Amino acid sequence: MIAQMMAVTIFVIMFALIVSEKIERQWASLGCGALMLVVVFGICMQSWSAVWETLNFREMVTIPFWYAGSAAEEISTGVNWATILFIAGMMVMVEGMGKSGFFRWLCLRIAKAVKYKAIPILISFMLISFVLAMFIDSITVILFLAAVTVELAGLLQFSPIPVILAEVFCANLGGSATMCGDPPNIIIGTSLGYSFGDFITNTGVLAVISLVVVVCYFYLCFRKKLAQNLGQIDVHSFPEPDSAIQNKKDFCVSCMIFGTAVLLLITHAMTGLTVATIGTGIALITLFTSGKDAFLLLKKIDYKTLLFFIGLFIVVGGLEKTGILELIASVIEQISGDDPKLMIAIILWISAFASAFVDNIPFAATMIPVIKSLSAATGLDLSVLAWTLAVGTDIGGSATPIGASANVVGISIASQNGHMIGWGKYCKYLAPATILVICISMLGIYIRYF
Amino acid sequence: MEKQIIIALGREFGSGGHEAGEILAERYGIAFLDHVLLQKIAEEKHIDLKLLERYDEKPKNKLFSRTVAGYSSALEEHVANIQFDYIHQLADAGKSFVIVGRCAEYILRGNPVLLSVFVLGNKETKCARIMKKYDLTEEEAYKMMKRKDATRKNYHNYYCDGKWGDSRNYDLCINSSNLGVEGVVEIIDDLIRRRLERVDNQ
Repeated sequence: MIAQMMAVTIFVIMFALIVSEKIERQWASLGCGALMLVVVFGICMQSWSAVWETLNFREMVTIPFWYAGSAAEEISTGVNWATILFIAGMMVMVEGMGKSGFFRWLCLRIAKAVKYKAIPILISFMLISFVLAMFIDSITVILFLAAVTVELAGLLQFSPIPVILAEVFCANLGGSATMCGDPPNIIIGTSLGYSFGDFITNTGVLAVISLVVVVCYFYLCFRKKLAQNLGQIDVHSFPEPDSAIQNKKDFCVSCMIFGTAVLLLITHAMTGLTVATIGTGIALITLFTSGKDAFLLLKKIDYKTLLFFIGLFIVVGGLEKTGILELIASVIEQISGDDPKLMIAIILWISAFASAFVDNIPFAATMIPVIKSLSAATGLDLSVLAWTLAVGTDIGGSATPIGASANVVGISIASQNGHMIGWGKYCKYLAPATILVICISMLGIYIRYF
Repeated sequence: MEKQIIIALGREFGSGGHEAGEILAERYGIAFLDHVLLQKIAEEKHIDLKLLERYDEKPKNKLFSRTVAGYSSALEEHVANIQFDYIHQLADAGKSFVIVGRCAEYILRGNPVLLSVFVLGNKETKCARIMKKYDLTEEEAYKMMKRKDATRKNYHNYYCDGKWGDSRNYDLCINSSNLGVEGVVEIIDDLIRRRLERVDNQ
C-alpha cells in the first residue's frame, strides 16, 4: 500500500513538473525515475530484482531484441530500449536529410508543381505532411513545411495560418497511421509486439479515411481565406527547388537512406528485423556516409528527448510493478460492465481528451499495461484496444495548441513571423476536426472489429 | 540631438516614470516608445495591433502554453521577442529613443549609449496619482497598482536574468515621491548631458 502511494505520488510529481516547465522534462522524468527505483523498489518493496527488471538492460543482449524472426516477440516491462534506439536512429537520419536540403526541396518542388496557387498548395501540403509524418517525426515535418509555407505566403500574399493549421493536423493524423509515425505508436508497437504492417492495416486505414474527410473539411473552412490575387506577382522570381539542395551527393544519399528506412520498416515483419535493428542500422549508415560531418550529426541528436523517455519508462514501470495500473484497468472494466463497445469508447475519448492537454507519450506509456490488464480480464482482443489507444492519443493531441509537439512548432514558426495563432483561432478549426476524426475512428473500430 | 541617446525606463505603476519619459523624449526631440512600439511593429509587419496589445508586457501563461525543442506556443513570448528584436534593430540603426518597460535595460545591456533608469515611488504618492488619473477610490487604486506591478515584475523576471527594480541592474534608481516627475526628469537630463560631455571630451 505504501509502495503504491509512493509510486502515484512520484508519478503525479513528474507530471506536475513536466506541465509547469520549472525544470526541463528530461530531468523531471529521470529524477522521478531515480526516486521510483530507490524509494518504491528499494525501500518500500525491497526488491532489487524489480529495479533490474525495470531498467531492462538484459533485453538488449537477447536475440529477439535485434532479430524477431518470423514471429513478433512480446517484450517485457520497464525501459523500452527498442523505442529509444529507433527514435535515436531516426533522429540521425532526419538530421542528415535536413542538412542536405531534402525537405525544403520537396516543399518548393510541390509548390512549383501546383503553379504556386494557394488552394492547391493547401491540399498538397496537407497530403505531404500526412505522408512524411508517417515515417519521420512530426516536429521535423512541421519545422520545414511551416517555414516554407510562411515564405510562400509572403511571396504569394495569402495568410499562412490556415495552411499551417491544416499541415499540423495532417502531421498528427499521418503519425497515427504507422508504427513509427508518433512516439505513442512506437511504444505501443514495441511493447505489445505489433509490426509496421499491423499498424498500417488498422490505424493506417482509419487515418486514410479520416484524411479524405479532413481535406474536404479544411478546404471548406479555408477556401475563402486563401483567395489571392496573383495578378502582379512574378512567379519566375520565386526560389527554385534546386536552390534548396546544399550538396547533390548528400541529397542523393539522403534520399536513398530515407527510401531504405521506409522499405525496411514496411517489410520488417517479413525480414524479422526489429525496429531497434532498423534504427541502429539507419543511424550507422547515415553516420558512415556523412564522413567528417558524422560528429556534427551525433551532436545534433535530441538527447533530452531520449533521456526523457528513459525516465518515463522507469516511472511507468513503478506504477505497473506496484499494481496501480491494474487498479485503473479494473475501474474502467467496472464502468464499462460487459459492454466492449463502451470500453472502447471510454479508452478512445479519455485518451483523446487527456492527450489534448497533456503530453501523449507518458499517457500512452501508462495506458499500455492498463489495456493489457483489460484484455486479460475481459477477453477483448488486445489489438483492438491497442489501435483505440493509438488513435486516441495521436489524434486527441490535435485539439489544442498544447496537445502535440507539431502544434507547438507550427504555432511558434507562424508567430515568430508575425502570424499569431492563439487558442481561439486554433481551437475554432482544429477542435471540431479532432472531434470529427475521433468520431470517424470510433465508427470505424465498431464496424470493423465488432 | 545628433549623438545617439537611449533611455530605458523601468517604472512602478503610478510612479510617474512614463510621464518623465514623455517629457525627456520631447525635450530631446527623440522618439518615445511605449505601446507606440507595438503600433510601429503592427504597421511594418502587417500584424493586427489588437492582437499584439492583448499579449503585450504579460508573462506567459504556463498552464496554457508549452515549449517543445525550444519552440513555444505562448503568444506572450512571441510578442515580447518581436519587440526585443525591434528594439535591437532601432538601437543598431543608431536611432535615439526613450523606451518604457519591455525589459529594454536588459535587452540593450552593454550598449554604450544606454542609460537605464528605474523610477519607483512611495505607496501613498503612487495611489494618489492613480486615483487622480483613473478616477478611482483609494482601495481600487491600490489593487490596480498591486496587480499592474505584479504583472510587470513577472514579465520582466521571466525574460531577464536580473530582478525587476533591483538597483544593480540599472544605472540609476529614483524615488519620484521625493522629487516629483520634474525632479526625476532633471536628474536624468543632468546625467545625459554629463555623459554626452564626457563623450565629447574623449
